[in-house]
Amino acid sequence: MKIFTFLVGVLILNLTISGCLTDKIDDNEAKQPDEYEWVDDGELVIVTYDVYGLTDEMLENFENESGYEVSLLKLDDAGSVLDHLLQHKGQQVADIAIGLDNTYLQTAIDNNVLWEHNAILQNISESALLPYDGPLAAPFDQGYICLNYDSDIVDGVNYTVPESLWELTEEAWNGKVAIPSPETSSPGRAFMTATTDYFSTDSDNETEWTDWWSAMSLNDVIITTGWSEAYETRYTGGYGEWTDGYVGDAHIVVSYCHSPGVESWYNGNWTKSAALDIPKASFHQVEYAAALEGGNLDSASAFIEYLLSPEVNSKMPIENSMYSALEGYDLPEENGYLFHSVVPSEPAVVSSTTIANNMEEWLEMWNKAMVDA
Amino acid sequence: MPEMNIRLSNSCALLAYTLLVILPLWLALDRLIWVAGANPLDWYLSLGQNYVSQGVIQFTFIQALTSTLATLAIGLPIAWQLGRYKWPFQSLTKAILTMPFVMPSIVAAMGFLHIVGRAGLNIRVDDSTWFTTLIIAHAWFNMALVIRFCEPVISTLDPRLEEQMRLLPAGSSKTGRFRHLWAPLLAPSIAAAACMTFVFSFTSFALVRWITLGDNTLESVMAGIGSSAGIEGYMISRNEIVLGSSMIQFTILLLSLFLMSWLQQKRQSLLPQVSEEVVKQSNPKGWTVIGPALAFALSPLIAVFWASFRIRNTDSSGTHYTWETSGWEFAFSSSNSMTSAWDALYNSLGYATLTLIIALPLGWILAQTILDVEKEKPRFARFLDVLTMLPFAISSVMIGLGVMLGMIRIDAEFFYSFWPTPALAHVMITTPFVVRIMLPALRAIDPEYDECGRTLGISKWRRFFQIKLPLLRGSILVAVIFTLAMSLGEFGASWVVTRNSDWTTLPIMIDSLRSIPYNNSLTAPAACAVSSVLMGTTLVLFTWAEKFRPSRDGGMF
Repeated sequence: MKIFTFLVGVLILNLTISGCLTDKIDDNEAKQPDEYEWVDDGELVIVTYDVYGLTDEMLENFENESGYEVSLLKLDDAGSVLDHLLQHKGQQVADIAIGLDNTYLQTAIDNNVLWEHNAILQNISESALLPYDGPLAAPFDQGYICLNYDSDIVDGVNYTVPESLWELTEEAWNGKVAIPSPETSSPGRAFMTATTDYFSTDSDNETEWTDWWSAMSLNDVIITTGWSEAYETRYTGGYGEWTDGYVGDAHIVVSYCHSPGVESWYNGNWTKSAALDIPKASFHQVEYAAALEGGNLDSASAFIEYLLSPEVNSKMPIENSMYSALEGYDLPEENGYLFHSVVPSEPAVVSSTTIANNMEEWLEMWNKAMVDA
Repeated sequence: MPEMNIRLSNSCALLAYTLLVILPLWLALDRLIWVAGANPLDWYLSLGQNYVSQGVIQFTFIQALTSTLATLAIGLPIAWQLGRYKWPFQSLTKAILTMPFVMPSIVAAMGFLHIVGRAGLNIRVDDSTWFTTLIIAHAWFNMALVIRFCEPVISTLDPRLEEQMRLLPAGSSKTGRFRHLWAPLLAPSIAAAACMTFVFSFTSFALVRWITLGDNTLESVMAGIGSSAGIEGYMISRNEIVLGSSMIQFTILLLSLFLMSWLQQKRQSLLPQVSEEVVKQSNPKGWTVIGPALAFALSPLIAVFWASFRIRNTDSSGTHYTWETSGWEFAFSSSNSMTSAWDALYNSLGYATLTLIIALPLGWILAQTILDVEKEKPRFARFLDVLTMLPFAISSVMIGLGVMLGMIRIDAEFFYSFWPTPALAHVMITTPFVVRIMLPALRAIDPEYDECGRTLGISKWRRFFQIKLPLLRGSILVAVIFTLAMSLGEFGASWVVTRNSDWTTLPIMIDSLRSIPYNNSLTAPAACAVSSVLMGTTLVLFTWAEKFRPSRDGGMF
C-alpha cells in the first residue's frame, strides 16, 4: 500500500511540475533594447543549418580576433532553425541564428524571438535590404531561386525548353521535375512563394496557383524534403550524378539561378546545367543573421559585424555558393562562374509582410492542393 | 533492518524510473496534446490529410510485411543448415551470420547504399529498386533473429523422435515429416522471429532515411517533422501527425509484445531434447546456402570499409577514383563545423558507459522489486511489469522527442550545457531490456540458496557476491552487451536530441557527414570511415563478450 501511495504521489508531482512548466511559455511582448537582460559569458553559440559559409577558418579567425569561444548547434534546414527558435521561446540556448531567409524571418520577428543587434554595418547592397531593412536581422548573402534544367537532355529535341510553368504539367514532364518541399526547405518555400505571384499576374484568370500545384501533383512531381535530395540525388544535370546516393530521374529542378555557375566553377568552366529564366518564376532570397533574445548580444553583434566585413562577405560566392550582401562584389569571372549564372529578368515580387501574413495559410493551401489532386 | 533497506532501494529505483523514463514522455505527450487537442480521431485523420504523411501508414505496413517474409525466406534455410548439419568453425560461422543484428542500422544503410550505388552495382534508379534494397537490408539486419530463434530448436531435437516419425505412415515422406513434425515444432519460433522482425522493420528509421526517397515509415515521418512539434498555435497538424503516428506504433508494438509473450510460453512447452552433442553429419550441398549467406552477411560491412578509401575525382574529363586515406584524415581531423571522429568515439563510449551505469542497476532493482512484491501484491506487481514494458511500445524517435520537449520544459539552458543529456534517451530505451533480461534470471534463483546462506551466518554482502552474483552472471552479461550495443548504435532518439555538436555520437556523425553536399568528394568516404570505426567498436565489444559465454552458445547476441 505504501508503494501505491508513493506512486500516486509521484503522479501528482508530475502533474504539478507539468502545470508549472506550462506557465513558463508566454510573454508575447517585444523587449526594447534598454530592457535587455543578458551577461557576456565570452561565448557565441550559433544555431544554424549547413551554411557552408561558416568555414572552420572563418570561425577560427573570429575566435582569434574577438576572443569569443564559438560553438555550433546544427539543425537540418532553415525551417528547423525557425522551429528551434519558436520551441525555445523565452529560454533560447543560442546567441545568434544564421540562415533564416526572407520567407522565414518575419515569423521569427512576429514571435519576438529576436533582439536588435548593435553591429555597425556599412555598404550593404540595396537589393539585400529590399525584403527587410531593420535592426532585428542583418542580410549576409543572397541569390535567386529558379528552375534549372539539364541541357544535355532538355536540348530542344528530346524535350523542349519550357517557357511557362504550365508546360511542366504536360505528360512529357511526368515524374521529371524535382522540387524541394515548401514545408521543410527554404528554396522550396521561396519557389512556392514565387508561384503565388506568377499565377496571380498571368493572363489566365481562371486558375489559381494551387491549381498548378495540383496539376503538378497529378503529373508525379518529385517533392523532396530538402534541396540536396532534389539537386544531388534526383537531378541529372548537376554534380550529384557522380555520387553514391544518386538516382537521376529529374531533368528539371528547383535550385538557384547561379547554380550552373557554381557547377562551372567546380568543373573547370564546364556545365550542362542551365538556369531557366521564366518571368515571375524566380524569387529573390536573402539569408539573415539575427541576434537571439536572451543571448549574448555583444558576441552576436560582433559576429554580425565580422560576417559583413568586406574580407569575409566578399568570399560568399566561393565559400557559400551565394552572392555577397555587400555592394560591389559580384560573382567571380573565373571558370565561367559569372557567365553561367543568370540574373532573372523579372523575379516574382512578394513583400515580406505579405509573406509573413500568408505563409501559414499558403502552406495549408499547398498541402491541400497536393493531397486532393 | 535489511527489510527497510530493500524497501528503500526499491522505492528509489521506482522514483528514478518515474523521473527518468516516465516524466519526459509524460511531458512530451502533455505538450503535444496541449497544442493539437485531445482528439485521437483527428490525429489519425491528419496522417491522410497531409502531404508529408499521406500514404505512410500503408507504406509502413507493406514494407514491414514484405521485410518479414523476405527475412524468413532468407533466414530459415540458413537456420536449417546450421542446426541440422555439422560445419567447420561452427561458432565462428554462427557469429558472422548473426552479427548483422548487432550492427548499428546506420552502418547497414551506408553499406547497402554503396553496394547499389553509382560505384557499386549501379542499380539505384527508381522507387522499385530502393524498395527492394530496403527489404533486403531489413532481411540482412533481422535474419539473425530467425537463426537465433529457430536454430536451437532444430539442433537440439532428439533424433529418436525423427526416427520414430519415419516409421509412422504420416512421417514416411519428407513432406509428411515436415507437416507433422517440423512445422508444429518450429511454428512458435518462426512466429516469434517474424513478430520481432515485423516490429523492427515497422519502426525502421536510419535505413528508410537513407535508402528510400519520398517513401516514409511512421518513424521517419515523425523524425522529419518533430522539430516543429510542441509550439503553441504553430503547425498544429504536425503535432497531430506525431501523435497519430505514435498512437499507431504504440498499438502495433503493444500487440506484438503480447503476441511475443504468448509465443514465448508456447515455445517453452518443449519436446524431449538432447544436448547439441548429437553426432551430426556434414553436408557439402549445404554450402550452397551457407556460402552465399556468409557473403551476404559480410558484404555491406566490407563495402563500407572499402568505400572509405575510395575517393572520387571529377573534372571536365569525367570521373575517376583513387585509393587514399584522405577520407579517414578528414573524419579524424577536428574543426569548428564538424566534430572529429575522436570526439564522436569518446562521446559514444561515454554515453554507452553512462547508460550502462544507470540502466543496469536501475533495471535490475526494478526486476527485483517486481519479484519482491509479486507474492503480497500480485496486482501491483503486474502493474509494475507493464509500466516497465511501456517504453518498448514507444519508438526511439518518440523517446527522442520526449527528451527534447521535456528538456525544453524543465530548463533548456541547463540541459544543453549538460553533457550527459543524450544518455537519458539511451537509458529510457535500454532499461526495459535490462528488466526483461533480469526478471526471469532472478526468478530462476532458488530462494533456498539464500536461506541456507543465512542459516550459515553468511553476511548479506557475501551472500550477494558469492551466491547471487555467480548465479546471475550469464544474464548480467547479456544485459551488459545489450545495453552497450543499443547505446552505441542508437540513432533515432539521438537524431532528435543531439543538436549540440559537443554531443555528437558516431551514428550521428555518420549521418551528418553524409548530409554535407557531395561536391566535397571526401564526405562519403569520411562517412564510411566513421562507419568502419563504429563497426570495429561493436565487433571488439562482441568478440570480447564471446569469451564470457558458454561455449555452445556461439552467436553475436
